[in-house]
Amino acid sequence: MSRPDDPVPILDALREDLDTGFAGLYDAYRVYVHTVALRATGSPADAEDLTAETFLRAYRSLISTRPPDLDTLQPRAWLLTIALNTLRNDRRTKARKPPPGPLDNAPDRCDPTQNPARAAEQNETARELAARLALLPERQREAVVLRHVLDLPIAEIAQVLGVPEGTAKSHVSRGLAALRVHHREAVNAAR
Amino acid sequence: MPLDDLEQALAGLAAAPPARVFDRITARWTRATSPLGDVDVAYTEHGVAWLRPAALGTLAEEFKARFARPLLRTDHPPAALTDALATGDGGGLDYDLTWLTPFASSVLSAARTIPRGQVRPYTWIAERIGNPKAVRAVGSALGHNPVPLLIPCHRIVRADGLGQYIFGVDAKTTLLRGEGAIE
Repeated sequence: MSRPDDPVPILDALREDLDTGFAGLYDAYRVYVHTVALRATGSPADAEDLTAETFLRAYRSLISTRPPDLDTLQPRAWLLTIALNTLRNDRRTKARKPPPGPLDNAPDRCDPTQNPARAAEQNETARELAARLALLPERQREAVVLRHVLDLPIAEIAQVLGVPEGTAKSHVSRGLAALRVHHREAVNAAR
Repeated sequence: MPLDDLEQALAGLAAAPPARVFDRITARWTRATSPLGDVDVAYTEHGVAWLRPAALGTLAEEFKARFARPLLRTDHPPAALTDALATGDGGGLDYDLTWLTPFASSVLSAARTIPRGQVRPYTWIAERIGNPKAVRAVGSALGHNPVPLLIPCHRIVRADGLGQYIFGVDAKTTLLRGEGAIE
């Protein structure tokens, strides 16, 4: 997905009326937050919980006595940061959950009209890819999801992960390289 | 540079949340007619959460102080809610009252059992919840009923008169007359 992130109308709507503006904020960023949540938890039910919790925390921050400054707020990075912080807090406070498994509800993508080798590559289904993504180290997975699933710029990824841009870039390229090795192996095995 | 297969496949992993997630975040409110006149009612995915006369204009403020959730107006409330408001009989509705203390919750549960057209004294509630000396606390819990009318706290009266009501004794008199409980 690649949608230009223009937060100005969303922030204007929040200033105008917090609650209807918040519905607009949800609409604009729900896919970003839920995708990060789904790839981080590996479970549709946990991803729903985390998405709901993230937006509730965001709202509570906006109505708190020390709300974020809407003149400088970058809402997408802000929401994704809340999502990852919530995830890490949950992991700390709750009993540890097993790492994300291969099961999720990503649709299979397969085009039978392709030639066999090509089809093998396409048979690299979303489900399998999601499973391998889940096996990456946490930071690499988050970086790859933010960069290649959600198309965020490196500067914003660095902000969300709380690391320097060079580190963010390195997480992305290492994660992608690891996925690429598996990808080639899968394609070769299919040949 | 064109995206390779892997990058294309990754881009396909973005996923929108199911519609129900939005309902877990935001609550709805609506305005409807009732035996108390126009009332504003807020509800969450769990049920009816707050009711105030429209004239007070305090619904959103009070609801948010408790729930800290966005509250969006809807003109399409569940039919069961509009029906219950029109008749003043909220017996069949679900409520979002989990935040109440166990004591307040038991008081309101007891109040829900009083049929339309009847009244009970405060002592009846206190005895029914197994706390016969807590008559004053019962009055306080009823006075803080977040969903008056639907949970009929107006049907609890003093032995020597109507007693107080969250929206005033006049409203209590009107409601009980309308239900045929008093003349």
